[in-house]
Amino acid sequence: MTRFEYHKPHTIKEAIGLMGSLENAKFIAGGTDVMVLIKRKKIAPAHLISLRNINDFSSIDIGDGLQIGGGVTHSDIVANEFIQKRYSALTDAAGKVGSRQIRNVATVSGNICNAAPSADTACPLLVLDADVKIAGPKGERQVPLDDFFLGANRVDLGPGEVVTGFHLPPFGLNTGSAYIKHTRRQAMDLPMVGIAVRVTIRIGGSEIGCKDAFCTIDSISNILRRLEDEELRCEDVRIAMGVVAPRPVRARKAEAALKGKVISEALFEEIAEIAASEAQPRDSIRGEAWYRREMVKVLTKRAILISVDRVLRPDDMILRGHDAASCPRVRG
Amino acid sequence: MKREITFKLNNEERKVEVDPGWTLLYVLREVLELMGTKEGCGYGECGACTVIIDGLSVNSCLYPILEAEGRAVTTIEGLRAASGELHPLQQAFVNEGAVQCGFCTAGMIMSAKALIDENEKPTEDDIKDNIAGNLCRCTGYVQIIDAIKTVAGGGRT
Amino acid sequence: MSDLTTVGKKITKRDAPLKVTGGATYIQDLKIPGMLYGGILYSKYAHAKILKLDTTRAERLPGVMAVITAADVPNNFRFGIMKDNPPLKGGRVRSTRDEIAAVAAVSAEIAAAALELIEVEYEELPGIFDPLEAMKEGAPLVHEEMKSNILKMPWKLICGDVEAAKKESAYVVSDTFRTQWVTHCCLGTSGCIAALDTSNNLTMYSNTQIPSLAQNDYIEALAAFGLKGRRVRIIQCTIGGGFGSKLDTYAYEYIAILLAMKTRKPVKFIFSREEEFFATSPRQCSITKISQGCDKDGRLTFREMEMVLDNGAYTSWGATTPSVMMMPISSLYKVPNIKYVAQCVYTNNTYSQAMRGYGNPQATFAIESSLDQLAEKAGLDPYELRFRNANEPGELTPQNFQVTSCGMKECMAEVVKRLDWKGKKGNGNGRGVGMASLIHVGGGARVYKSDGCGTIIKMDDRGKVDVLTGATEIGQGSETVLAQIVAEVLGVPIDDINVINNDTDVCPWDVGAHASRSTFVAGNSALGAARKIREQMLAVAAQNMGEDPASLDIKNGVVFSRNDKEKSLPLSKVLRKVHYTSGGKMFMAEHFYDPPNENFDKEFKGNLSVSYAYGVHGVEVEVDRETGQVKILNYIAAHDVGKAINPMLLEGQIYGGGLMGIGYALGETMIYEKGRLKNGNFLDYKMPTAKDVPPVQAVIVETDEQAGPFGAKGIGEPGLVPTAPAIANAIYDAVGVRIKDLPITPEKVLRALQEKAQADTGRSGA
Ligand SMILES: Cc1cc2nc3c(=O)[nH]c(=O)nc-3n(C[C@H](O)[C@H](O)[C@H](O)COP(=O)(O)OP(=O)(O)OC[C@H]3O[C@@H](n4cnc5c(N)ncnc54)[C@H](O)[C@@H]3O)c2cc1C
Ligand code: FES
Ligand code: FES
Repeated sequence: MTRFEYHKPHTIKEAIGLMGSLENAKFIAGGTDVMVLIKRKKIAPAHLISLRNINDFSSIDIGDGLQIGGGVTHSDIVANEFIQKRYSALTDAAGKVGSRQIRNVATVSGNICNAAPSADTACPLLVLDADVKIAGPKGERQVPLDDFFLGANRVDLGPGEVVTGFHLPPFGLNTGSAYIKHTRRQAMDLPMVGIAVRVTIRIGGSEIGCKDAFCTIDSISNILRRLEDEELRCEDVRIAMGVVAPRPVRARKAEAALKGKVISEALFEEIAEIAASEAQPRDSIRGEAWYRREMVKVLTKRAILISVDRVLRPDDMILRGHDAASCPRVRG
Repeated sequence: MKREITFKLNNEERKVEVDPGWTLLYVLREVLELMGTKEGCGYGECGACTVIIDGLSVNSCLYPILEAEGRAVTTIEGLRAASGELHPLQQAFVNEGAVQCGFCTAGMIMSAKALIDENEKPTEDDIKDNIAGNLCRCTGYVQIIDAIKTVAGGGRT
Repeated sequence: MSDLTTVGKKITKRDAPLKVTGGATYIQDLKIPGMLYGGILYSKYAHAKILKLDTTRAERLPGVMAVITAADVPNNFRFGIMKDNPPLKGGRVRSTRDEIAAVAAVSAEIAAAALELIEVEYEELPGIFDPLEAMKEGAPLVHEEMKSNILKMPWKLICGDVEAAKKESAYVVSDTFRTQWVTHCCLGTSGCIAALDTSNNLTMYSNTQIPSLAQNDYIEALAAFGLKGRRVRIIQCTIGGGFGSKLDTYAYEYIAILLAMKTRKPVKFIFSREEEFFATSPRQCSITKISQGCDKDGRLTFREMEMVLDNGAYTSWGATTPSVMMMPISSLYKVPNIKYVAQCVYTNNTYSQAMRGYGNPQATFAIESSLDQLAEKAGLDPYELRFRNANEPGELTPQNFQVTSCGMKECMAEVVKRLDWKGKKGNGNGRGVGMASLIHVGGGARVYKSDGCGTIIKMDDRGKVDVLTGATEIGQGSETVLAQIVAEVLGVPIDDINVINNDTDVCPWDVGAHASRSTFVAGNSALGAARKIREQMLAVAAQNMGEDPASLDIKNGVVFSRNDKEKSLPLSKVLRKVHYTSGGKMFMAEHFYDPPNENFDKEFKGNLSVSYAYGVHGVEVEVDRETGQVKILNYIAAHDVGKAINPMLLEGQIYGGGLMGIGYALGETMIYEKGRLKNGNFLDYKMPTAKDVPPVQAVIVETDEQAGPFGAKGIGEPGLVPTAPAIANAIYDAVGVRIKDLPITPEKVLRALQEKAQADTGRSGA
């Protein structure tokens, strides 16, 4: 077993101070990356500075969007109903990280700072326009997540700097998001590809009204078809892709091609093609490049559809077993 | 440098002298000689080392011992009643044939306990989700899931 | 037999209470005073010359008690069935799991640190990793002294005249199927403690599933190490999973002995998970060419198979799996003409061993996939083809297997009914159904000269029973099944039975936990011993009660007269009467049961087992045409078990085997690059999790096997045998693509779908 000293500061200031005064030190949050790296002898820090005991570090606050504390774990995210409803992609991702045991200790900050191309929460946070909140010896700053990722396992953190949380802007009821993690197993698996999408929709220039018109278990494809004359328009969109580049990336061309358009499944297919052309996957033991590219295509379309679905039919609106054909309120 | 820490282990205050580099699993097995918690991989990938810390299931093989300071840790040894009676989950595992080689069993039961403490009536999906980090090669999980269901009030379906 | 009290009941596993409380002692948990910790340095390359090996720095590390290398292995000792495997390799390494040095130190940490101080210089040599390449003329030799990479173990089975049958067949299909390397993934890793007493007798604390054979291996090793005639005692800890991985002895065990000799202290080895992945011996990969034919009525005419197996760098039981493969090849369904040849080939890969099913899954994958192809060609429903050719009781198969009980058709009926085969088959809507059958030895298998197991039963003054058996408990529940059998015969409560099964000093001989033989062979052995002791007891009781022994029976520990219910005598009294009498005796009985199984003759024919187990698996899948992912919607595993001595334990074997089979079919594979394992961890090796469990039904079909204890046959292995082909067949039914190499990954399915789409448009365009 490797030897290291272990420090347990109670404030961010203290943590930053320790980092400044100790040689060969590393922050540790849930430790699910750090401890593995130490045990596998990939790193050998002399000091670990724990972020687990920082006061008020694990809060999730609503107001001006969403504030996620630096110590928030994946389980904390999963348990939060507001996030599930309004920032669904993040819940999708957090709920699929590793196992329950891992999620109970592993933090979103750790996931982002470790900056693996496969980091599950990275794509959702990218599409949800997250800013990273950083504190350091020189004070505090905030950077868009897209700028925070510098490359494979590299992030924009200076010496002694610590991530204190994330800020996500508010999104209206006409915004939906989703993350699809493509794996070989149903659990305990890293994604072969991960795709996150956020869309904001307008119907013929006005907000969508009567949502319960869609209280059906019909497929979203059919619903879209029924709504064809409604001119549902994509007001805004983000698409992010994991494991297709050295870092999680946005599919900007695909986003541009969708923004402002009247949506249809056929269009989503085109968008998905564009996203696939932007991906630069590689062969590895975890998956072949051609397949990953193919999956970008398939999953991008599916993630857009789920996101749209979540706008049109929020989960609590769907009456289970309610048959679309016999529902008087469904247009069609 | 060794340090002395105090934490609650199976409802008893324990003082232990530890090296900061040790994991909780190491301390449980090698220092306190509580052998019920197993090491199946050492990397958070199998769940054999699962214990409950402050109500949450955790892989003790990745848990730095100094984080246990001041917290409440429950291991498989802490489940039995003082009378020696098995915990309902333990009994259910026996009754339903959820144990074969038994190496995964302690961790599996701890995951199940954390779940049931948090959610009295978990669905089958909840159960699967909460034990997905506990690998078992022998049972195919079916009887494990059944056992947890009998305790979870859901009964057998 | 309707009045059985324990047999046939859901009796909880005897060791379960200990296991659920964390009280069972696995090898990991055992400490012996003064014990040292061992560590092994493995080769950096798959094939290399060792130019320099310097251990001085390791030796100087405080806490290191011994460092050994090949030079410390006396008499050029080698182990394994071909004696081609030295416990420590010198001069040349042939795989990345080659052990080149080992240390013993006062802590595991120091042992690990010492390994890092050993300096090795290699000259890397080109390796050979593909068995087909290795077979070619002029390929580099893995073992030069062997002159060829092809093992001198020619497996060849000829029954009837395949060539003639081919000509007469109305339909013939031929294809090639491949299977991958997969490993056991026992949750408890391997380990041992070797301890020598002052007279150099060895006690080995071990995980082995073959105590008596391992004992023999160590005795041989001790002799080679200059300790001829010393005793070896094997004490088995609770075993954290076996599945065949512990069917042979390993280098680390011999290394432990050598280190114990050198240090005069007990030496413990515990494998890390990484070691467990790369340094234990997995199921080998196979390449199978198969042709099968049938007449115009769908009766099978012949089966021809040619197989190449990757043996790896050394030889263990993997090389003998063709002997078991012959079973499904010759006798799964009625096929009059058979030709089978198999070659095992040395490569610089890991070396292969036994794993649940022992070759049967590889062979069955080819046979059952090909059968569906044949059904299609003959225009028959695959079920119909199978049913017409199904095995039946009383049959003598071409390999001279005498089929006694056989419930294949009953199993098939269960699958068809429960899957709604007729309703679901051939809908081509992305969902499909498939089935596959299995045959396996159900009454042991005479792979060694003996297939025997001994039991000793003794009773104390209070009517409590000690059952000393040679049968190993590896989690499958043999301990419980034996207790049930003895309790049933003796008429005592099951809680009065204590099974002792882990110490060669007290337990009788047994050939090991393999071939699904424990229930059948050890069960019959226990049954024999129990009957003997019952007779002894009834004789004494009869005397005391003034009754004829034949009119007596025992229930709940009390002897009573069937004629006069008033007349009864507790067993404890009977026992005390015998013990506390001048010239008294004690109640003890032994029984050695060796089933009348036959060794194969020179042509590999003979009745390998006195009974055969059958089963049929059916599966409904849904294939995602866009991602290639396969989802199992319903899984039916129907097994002819003879008699379910303990339905709950039996179902556990079926569920466990089934999920292992699903892993084999859809995800598990050991990825080697130039002989180095790339995914030796639980994240990258895709063993199924709880979330991967499909809806599954275990269906037990009872056929009352006359030779079995209370009618039972073995069921330890069969659960995974037909899984992969059943799934492959269902995928074909769902989307029309056939995947011929395992595992069936989404990549392979998607690629096949794309190719099919291209071919289809090409065809319609033409
Ligand atoms: C078995 C297993 C399964 C896993 N499965 C998944 C998976 O499915 N998906 C996935 O994305 N990941 C997975 N992971 C990886 C890991 O769990 C996640 O990346 C996790 O979110 C890391 O969080 P942590 O709190 O444990 O980070 P730590 O290990 O504590 O830290 C990770 C890195 O971030 C730094 N760091 C942490 N917090 C801060 C902070 N506030 N400020 C600055 N730097 C910080 C640390 O110094 C370190 O470099 C898995 C890991 C294991 C062991
Ligand atoms: S030992 Fe901790 S997860 Fe495997
Ligand atoms: S019972 Fe053996 S691993 Fe679960």
